[in-house]
Amino acid sequence: MPTPTRLIRNFCIIAHIDHGKSTLADQFLLKSGAVSQRDIKAQTLDSMDLERERGITIRMHPVTIFFDHKGEKFELNLIDTPGHVDFNYEVSRSLAACEGAILLVDAFQGVQAQTVANGFLAMEAQLKLVPTLNKIDLPHARPEFVIGEMEQAMLVEDPDEVMKVSARAGLGIEELMGAVIDRVPAPSGAPAEPLKALIYNSHFDTYKGVVVYIRMIDGNLKPGQRIKLMRAGREYVVTEMGQFRPEPTKIDELGAGQVGYFTANIKTIDDVGIGDTVTDAFNPTAEPLAGYKEPKPMVYSGLYPVNNNEFEDLREALQKLKLNDSSFSYVPEVSDGLGFGFRCGFLGMLHREIIQQRLERDSELNLVQTAPNVTYEIKKQNGEVVQVHGPQDVPDGGGIDEFREPIVKISFLIPSTNIGGLMTMCTERRGTFVRTEYLSPQRVILVFEMPLAEVIYDLYDKLKSFTHGYGTMDYEVVGYRAADLVRMDILVHGNRVDALSIIVHRSNADRRGRKVLERLRKEISRHMFEVALQAAIGGKIIARETIAAMKKDVTAKCYGGDISRKRKLWNKQAEGKKRMKAIGQVEVPQEAFLAVLEDD
Amino acid sequence: MFTDPPWLQPRTAYLHVPFCGHHCGYCDFAVTAGQDHLIELYLDALELELAALGQPQPVETIFVGGGTPTYLTAKQLRRLLEAIHKWLPIISPGSHEFSVESTPESLDAEKVHLLAAFGVNRVSIGVQSFHPHLLAALERRHGVEQIPQAVEMVRKQIPAISFDLIFAAPGQTLAQWEADLDAALAFDPDHVSTYGLTYEKGTPLWKDRERGAVRTVDEDNELAMYEHAMDRLAAAGFEHYEISNFAKPGKRCRHNDRYWANEAYFGVGVGAARYVQWVRELNVRDTKLYVRRVLAGETPTYQSEELDPRERAFETIATQLRRADGVRRDRFRDQTGFELDELIGDWVRDFTANGLLLDDDSSVRLTRRGKCLADGIVTSVMKSR
Repeated sequence: MPTPTRLIRNFCIIAHIDHGKSTLADQFLLKSGAVSQRDIKAQTLDSMDLERERGITIRMHPVTIFFDHKGEKFELNLIDTPGHVDFNYEVSRSLAACEGAILLVDAFQGVQAQTVANGFLAMEAQLKLVPTLNKIDLPHARPEFVIGEMEQAMLVEDPDEVMKVSARAGLGIEELMGAVIDRVPAPSGAPAEPLKALIYNSHFDTYKGVVVYIRMIDGNLKPGQRIKLMRAGREYVVTEMGQFRPEPTKIDELGAGQVGYFTANIKTIDDVGIGDTVTDAFNPTAEPLAGYKEPKPMVYSGLYPVNNNEFEDLREALQKLKLNDSSFSYVPEVSDGLGFGFRCGFLGMLHREIIQQRLERDSELNLVQTAPNVTYEIKKQNGEVVQVHGPQDVPDGGGIDEFREPIVKISFLIPSTNIGGLMTMCTERRGTFVRTEYLSPQRVILVFEMPLAEVIYDLYDKLKSFTHGYGTMDYEVVGYRAADLVRMDILVHGNRVDALSIIVHRSNADRRGRKVLERLRKEISRHMFEVALQAAIGGKIIARETIAAMKKDVTAKCYGGDISRKRKLWNKQAEGKKRMKAIGQVEVPQEAFLAVLEDD
Repeated sequence: MFTDPPWLQPRTAYLHVPFCGHHCGYCDFAVTAGQDHLIELYLDALELELAALGQPQPVETIFVGGGTPTYLTAKQLRRLLEAIHKWLPIISPGSHEFSVESTPESLDAEKVHLLAAFGVNRVSIGVQSFHPHLLAALERRHGVEQIPQAVEMVRKQIPAISFDLIFAAPGQTLAQWEADLDAALAFDPDHVSTYGLTYEKGTPLWKDRERGAVRTVDEDNELAMYEHAMDRLAAAGFEHYEISNFAKPGKRCRHNDRYWANEAYFGVGVGAARYVQWVRELNVRDTKLYVRRVLAGETPTYQSEELDPRERAFETIATQLRRADGVRRDRFRDQTGFELDELIGDWVRDFTANGLLLDDDSSVRLTRRGKCLADGIVTSVMKSR
């Protein structure tokens, strides 16, 4: 028998990176007896190796635990919210599957930009917040101060409501679970109504096909049942269902309000729209759920195998990745300098980095990645509007009526002593000031509107550096706006290297051009001839650098024994060449393709 | 006499004598200093390794290098020469080449006489410089005044003299190098080897440079020194027949020419390399280990590899490009079985266009600028394997 709705609580945890979300989730498993102390690897629910290594959570498994409270056994479903801005779209997915959220804040570091943003999202979604301070046992914890900030940020109404825990030491965990049960409302679904369930995530399993993560709203679901995905219009027969406890555990029925998974011989995750509604094929519900917006890749870059004959291997590797990550996209493209490769779309810079690392790790491919750019729009003079995913899509010469770029609303939470630095940085990056909000005399939120292109261009590193690590930021795309944008080309030894072209604001072109050439000059080693580096807009050279020719490169002797030694050297050098791309006769190291991105 | 062509069957042999009075800071050859008690044992081992040839191997050229072969006493030197005479007989005495390396301070009349008696007809003297402070920087043990004495002794009995000279020594100026070359030419040598000082990893000099204790010569000056050597020696009637070697007409080192042709050679002694029937082998580099192994009846070889035809062909390009004669297409085809242009046609075109190579259809060779960049050119070519 499914758990009755009044004994179910569905919730998520909203927290900034490092504020202890994964450790808290592990404590829930431990205190509920779902996992023993012996079995718990640090951060059990972080599924990906990369995540465990980096100590950040991108996607956490959902988990169902059972907890006795006031003489009754409750089913608690914890649904994750990703902790990084690249994956913000997933936050709203998770929120739609919950009735409550633990708002977890570090008792020393205090409220962060993302905590505020996601906290408001949760309130808008009508979720009950359970504000909680973590790391309360640390000697430098300052609970009163942080609670004051939470009040100021309007995340807390009554300071006495704030729960205090130490996830690391296991303090206050049961009390927090009790508070979730007492404060978060039970799901309101009706068991007697036709089946209605929300798909909030999915993953691909080699043996079972797509595993669909659902939040039951009304009705119930059983194996063998014929279901329909309402928006997709496809029907399937359910083969298996279960809950993550935390291991996938088969059960024979899911009832209203519950959270779990099912499989139905679905071949690819593209067949399963996240946000779609599951209903009974023979007894459908009247109205599908509202669903969510599809996440759109906002950052694009080219990905090329260093050896051109590895193109098919790269395609296979990308296909495999795509099986479990529908937010990532790729299409083949050809570059004069780099040969055959793919234009890949990512949600953001972290997403991009993770994908590259995973590709290199899983497939042993040597890859060259070109500088990232955002998705632009060009309105041609004939009125046609096209999406531009890379500099190569920008038409040569005229024909452009309007060149538009994505604009974000970005909020920074920084120490108030850094306001000056932030204003300078944002002005340099074409930001326009929107508003200021003080959380305390020491900490302040500043909101700007700014082109996304300026955000992906090392803004985060800059922020961290001038706030000594204390500044945090969060952003969302608010629309497109016309700007004076141009394509800047880079020529190496007279050859245009399309992979080094970038789209820049005209007012920045000179500065960016010079910087790129300076960087390239450092990255490309001297050759046996002079190498000219040039930056150009529409054929007009705007900057130039020269790599002087090497003058002497000859070792004196070469006798019998030296030949064997030289062989080793040649082999080593041939190995090193794998990370190089030949542009004409110039060898360009992989790092050089990022030269257009970095700035100092 | 020979059944196989010279790139398969050696016409030449190298013998290594590691002993020196001092291990100079820049030297990374297999060298042993302060272990004179090992010399007799070493000669025992050398005889054993030679005996392992099975039967005497007639050769056209012999090269005894070091270390300092003439550091041996006259008695020891005689043992060495007798062993060579027994196992590596010269095919046609009179048209052979038998070279021995030496230093000014290690030569005496008795040793020179001995060398001549055993058919040595070419002595190379490690002169290095005529400036006392540069000899000191290189840790050489001879004084400038010992050079004329050594030359005089050798000249009386040995038909050909070669000088080794080092440029770009720490603190050396172009003017000093010019003076060194002039001083060397005043002795009218038959052959000159000029070596740009190389800071070999792990040597004491390299370590000194790492900690900033060495005043190195910058690239422009080193280049100017090399170019001056090319000009000055050409003016004195020398041909620049290999990157770092210059010879009067008819006085090239035939033994070394075999290396640069990528042909076969025997190699005997500690650290020696050999290339026989397409197998490259290296002996251990430690003198004690060499002696122990050979005397225990074990092989001194520690590395052996047979190259595949394509590797061989590329290696042939790499070594032959060092010669003034460069790579001759027809001979290359005979020696390797490959067409030169099939392997590196693109590079030849590119480098010819850049003025680094000269291509007259029958052969490809380095231009003057190409000689200064020979390693880079070879590296590029080898990367395209």
